[in-house]
Amino acid sequence: MGDIEDTHFETGDSGASATFPMQCSALRKNGFVMLKGRPCKIVEMSTSKTGKHGHAKVHLVGIDIFNGKKYEDICPSTHNMDVPHVKREDYQLTDISDDGYLTLMADNGDLREDLKIPDGDLGTQLRSDFDSGKELLCTVLKSCGEECVIAVKANTALDK
Amino acid sequence: MNNSAIQTLEAAAQMLMAPPNMVTSEQRHQAESVFLEFRSTKNPYQLCREILEKSTSDYVLFEAAGLIKSALIREWSLLSDNDIISLREYLLSYLLNKDTPPFLREKLLQTIAIIIKRGSIDDGGRERKVLLGELEKIILSSPINQQKLACALILAIMQEYAITVKSADVGLIWEVHFRLKKSFEALDLKRIFRFTVGVLEQIVRSGHRPEGEQALLTKQLLTIVETVLCWSHVSPLLSKRLIGAFEAIYESDTAPALRLSLNWRDTIMQPELLSLFFEIHMYVRSNPDLASPSLICLVQLASLSGVVVSVSNLKQQYLENYVNSFLNMMTYIQPFEREMLGISDIYRRLIQFFSPPMIAATPPAFLQNLTTLTCHCIRGAVMEERVNDDTVWRESLNKFLHTWSSIVHDTDGYSHETLLNPCIEIFNTYIQCRLAPPDGTRGAEINDDDLKDDLEEDERKLHSNVLLTIGAIARKAPAHCCHVLFTLLQDRSKRLESQLQLMHMGKLPVSGGEQLINLFEDLHWILMITGHFLAVDCTEGETVMIPQEIIQYSISENANLDASLRYLVGESTNTENVDPVLKLVGEILRISAWECAALEAGLGTVFSPELSATISWLLKIWSNSYLMPQPSVYSEMSPILECAFGRSSRGASWLVSRLAARSAACLRHLSTQPVAATQAIQLLTTLAHTQHKQNPLYSCEEFVALVAWEASGSNLPGALRKELHRAFAIATTYAEGDVRNRLLASTVALQEKLMNIINMESDTEPVRSMLADTLDCFVGVTDGVHEVGTMDEQFMMLIGALDKIPAIIFRYHNYPGVVLPALNFLSKSAKRMLHSVQPQNVTKFLEICNTTFEVYMRWNSGKISTIPQDAEEEAYEDICALMEVICSTARSGAERGVGDTCARGLRLLLPLITPPLLALPTLAHHAYRMLKDLDAADQLTNLPIEDFNMVVTALRVGLTAVSCDVSTLCCDTIVGLSNKARTLGDDNPYALSLLTLAELLLMLIIKMEIPPDSIPAAGAAIYALTCVKPALLEGLARQLIEAFAVNDPANVPRLEEAFGVLTNGVLFDGLRAHKLRFQDNFDKFLASVHGFLIVK
Repeated sequence: MGDIEDTHFETGDSGASATFPMQCSALRKNGFVMLKGRPCKIVEMSTSKTGKHGHAKVHLVGIDIFNGKKYEDICPSTHNMDVPHVKREDYQLTDISDDGYLTLMADNGDLREDLKIPDGDLGTQLRSDFDSGKELLCTVLKSCGEECVIAVKANTALDK
Repeated sequence: MNNSAIQTLEAAAQMLMAPPNMVTSEQRHQAESVFLEFRSTKNPYQLCREILEKSTSDYVLFEAAGLIKSALIREWSLLSDNDIISLREYLLSYLLNKDTPPFLREKLLQTIAIIIKRGSIDDGGRERKVLLGELEKIILSSPINQQKLACALILAIMQEYAITVKSADVGLIWEVHFRLKKSFEALDLKRIFRFTVGVLEQIVRSGHRPEGEQALLTKQLLTIVETVLCWSHVSPLLSKRLIGAFEAIYESDTAPALRLSLNWRDTIMQPELLSLFFEIHMYVRSNPDLASPSLICLVQLASLSGVVVSVSNLKQQYLENYVNSFLNMMTYIQPFEREMLGISDIYRRLIQFFSPPMIAATPPAFLQNLTTLTCHCIRGAVMEERVNDDTVWRESLNKFLHTWSSIVHDTDGYSHETLLNPCIEIFNTYIQCRLAPPDGTRGAEINDDDLKDDLEEDERKLHSNVLLTIGAIARKAPAHCCHVLFTLLQDRSKRLESQLQLMHMGKLPVSGGEQLINLFEDLHWILMITGHFLAVDCTEGETVMIPQEIIQYSISENANLDASLRYLVGESTNTENVDPVLKLVGEILRISAWECAALEAGLGTVFSPELSATISWLLKIWSNSYLMPQPSVYSEMSPILECAFGRSSRGASWLVSRLAARSAACLRHLSTQPVAATQAIQLLTTLAHTQHKQNPLYSCEEFVALVAWEASGSNLPGALRKELHRAFAIATTYAEGDVRNRLLASTVALQEKLMNIINMESDTEPVRSMLADTLDCFVGVTDGVHEVGTMDEQFMMLIGALDKIPAIIFRYHNYPGVVLPALNFLSKSAKRMLHSVQPQNVTKFLEICNTTFEVYMRWNSGKISTIPQDAEEEAYEDICALMEVICSTARSGAERGVGDTCARGLRLLLPLITPPLLALPTLAHHAYRMLKDLDAADQLTNLPIEDFNMVVTALRVGLTAVSCDVSTLCCDTIVGLSNKARTLGDDNPYALSLLTLAELLLMLIIKMEIPPDSIPAAGAAIYALTCVKPALLEGLARQLIEAFAVNDPANVPRLEEAFGVLTNGVLFDGLRAHKLRFQDNFDKFLASVHGFLIVK
């Protein structure tokens, strides 16, 4: 992880910062935070301090939203932490290429073909559902310049 | 032939014990099956004897001993008396003559004990008497090894008789177990006691130090006596459940009191007996192994009660005797650290079991000793806190303080004068231990950089048990303690003032040096002690009266009102003629003011958040009792307290505004310090809770400013804002008119904020985070709504926000961080308010629920996501929240439309709750709780049959769950459903679907695969199901018996008989009398079936 020191990624499309600062004490469980340069979901938050009359520090445990790895950090509650911008968008699946790339259509009709079929059970399910002719909706998680499909469901919301 | 069998077993044992790399898993499997088969051997006694004689494999020996035991239980009714006696004699002589390893010895001793117990059903204890005689002879004259074995057998027999409800000897119904215990108690327990005490006396008189083998024997003898004295002499009049509770105590650390029957009087009242026990303790106390049981004996003897001492002078006599022997011992010994717990227990039990006047009549040395030991323990406990994780001193101190708590509260015990000096001594010792030198003896702060986890417990809660009693003790000497506390507070407040001023002027570096830390710690403790001296800590919303001693002290001081008030508000520093309580409160307010000034001056970084929390805490518990007290509940009241803090007094409004200002300052400057901010909000909540129409808080400027501050966007962390809105809502509940409208501004602002966020075009992380916080604040508001009378109006305030929930979930369906608080808001509203709002509002609310369910399902049904394994529980929090919405709605008791909404929600939710999800404990608990609630609200049988089938499937999964909680919920739901199905007829599809559960349930019960604590609920479920279709149980029984006929024909008659017992005299009509009879039969059925089917 050492090579990703700077957590302020430039996202390709908008040019805006990939993260924004937030006071540590205002973070919430189930929210997001950058830990060791990775975008994480906060699964545990507790306070500790140096000495009985010391000031609070926040102990954070987070799970990398892309690869599920666990990270920890500790920070004075008055300091700011970086919070990643996280986006989840739904796309219609229109095709799967031979080399495992998905063809996805956004709400506005734009097509993209840069995402691979996800690993594991989700990928298997996705392929078999697609092969059996189901209309599928893929949820794509996007943060800090990374993207991947994290959920899939039969499309009952075509009229959206 | 047996030889080859033994060889096979030994070979298999070798396989099993071999290291993993030496054998294949198939070989291991085979070896296992050899033993599985061995364990079900019929009539194995001869074979086992041969194994015991010949085999050298420990594993085989152990298995053989186990088989003898389980076969005996299984086949008891088939064995002849002679077989049994010869087996027992064989086992005893085997043990006496062979040096057996402990694991084998214990098993065989237990087997002999079971034979003795079983045999006494028929012979009334004759064999037992003979055996005890033999054992006594062995103990008196045989080699020491045999003596030890005889003791071990006596212990095994006692153990076998002691437990009835959870006895290992299955196959007997509980009533028989209990009858046997009672008969053993009456016939032999006293005999064992007298004999053992006699032997111990000889040992003590011999004068030899207990060493080596002799020490081991002495320990066994002591353990026998200890077991007799800890025996739970349960009254036969209690129910089985209560007796089970008593036996659970017997197995735990604290033994039940020594309640003896009349026939013990000649033994226990012998004057020499008590002095002998103290003598025994002095004889063995240097050996920790022996000292422990002997000290427990002394503790037990301190709790003598029951008919044996029902005549009052007997009790008095016994106590005198005990106390004299005890004090005599105390003059000779200096207690070891490990003895403190026992000695504190002796005091606690004496105070508990003997009346206060009797205790007060003991020699003065008794109280003096108690005081000295308590002070000793205080020093030990404070030291222990700092150095290690041991808790011996703290536990002993707790017991001593328990004793003191009784002493200071008993009105008919010691007089005030007698208690005055001991109380002062304890108070002084405690405060000294907590203060830094030169006033106290506290060691230097350990200034390590280690992070201390805050998670453990709040500092004020951690010490509250000890401080509660120290406070009560201090109130017995109010003049002394008040003076000490005031002097200390005054001194420390001056030091704080000068330190902060120097820092502010730049003459001291702005950092927490050692001196400052010491000052914080001193203040922290003085304030905690002052708090517990002045008032009693309690849970939120509960009002506690001003302690009577304080009122009386204030009256007796007869101070000058004007001088007191001037001192309180800080207009004067002259303490002459000032009421002592006002003096203390004035000083606390000064410290609070110094803190606030420091925070405003930007010194927040040096001030201790912990101390800030303690100040808020003290003001909180103080104002809960003293501010605006209700005059009618006091029989006497100090005029000064009344004038200073009474309702509509100027003092009260002045104080309320000071306290509100304090809370506001802490929230503004310490919002990043959770302990300090939380206590500040709790102080505010306590003030808001004062249910009194003219509560000055509601119109106080500082409070209104705080409301405005929050409305304009306070920047507080989400969790604090939620609590703050809760406090506002509580105040709004009780306020009236214009005042109320001003307070409602906070909710209005929240509403506007929500609308603004929803209308925002951009969907970014900061916006979502703000939305989640705002929704959480609404949860806080809902949580604070209290009065039924104003609920409708407050509900109307919220309906606008509630109405937006479906749209929020639609837009943010991919963001659980938003969906979760939105659902929580919905369920909290249903829970707190739905029960008492107007019907048209209920309808509106239900519409919102319906739309929410639909929106949620639209995005979530059939969805498959990637979820990291250790985050599963969190990933399904929204499903739990949804179930909570359904449950709260079902429970609300509102009528029209509720059923429809719940059914709709459940129908949508059921396909989402798949068996893998039900394996998650939290989710399973929520799900089955919901099913039970919906069943209670008659909602399940209204579902379409396909959905009902899903419910039945979920119940099937739940029955096989390992958690007792879940399987009990399932059984209860089955009972409810069956009662409804009965009215529909047994060919109704709902009934048919439900009845499919019966077979599974019966098999789980018979195979003991249902958690033991759910067994009664499972019995009730079987009965209820059979009521739906009376032929059901018979059919299942026939199926089961036929299956047995193939594999185990020998047991068929016993199984048939057991089922006969189960249905004997029971009508399946659902009437209470038959239900109860079925439960009785069910117990007998289980005892007999488990008796011959056990293969553990």
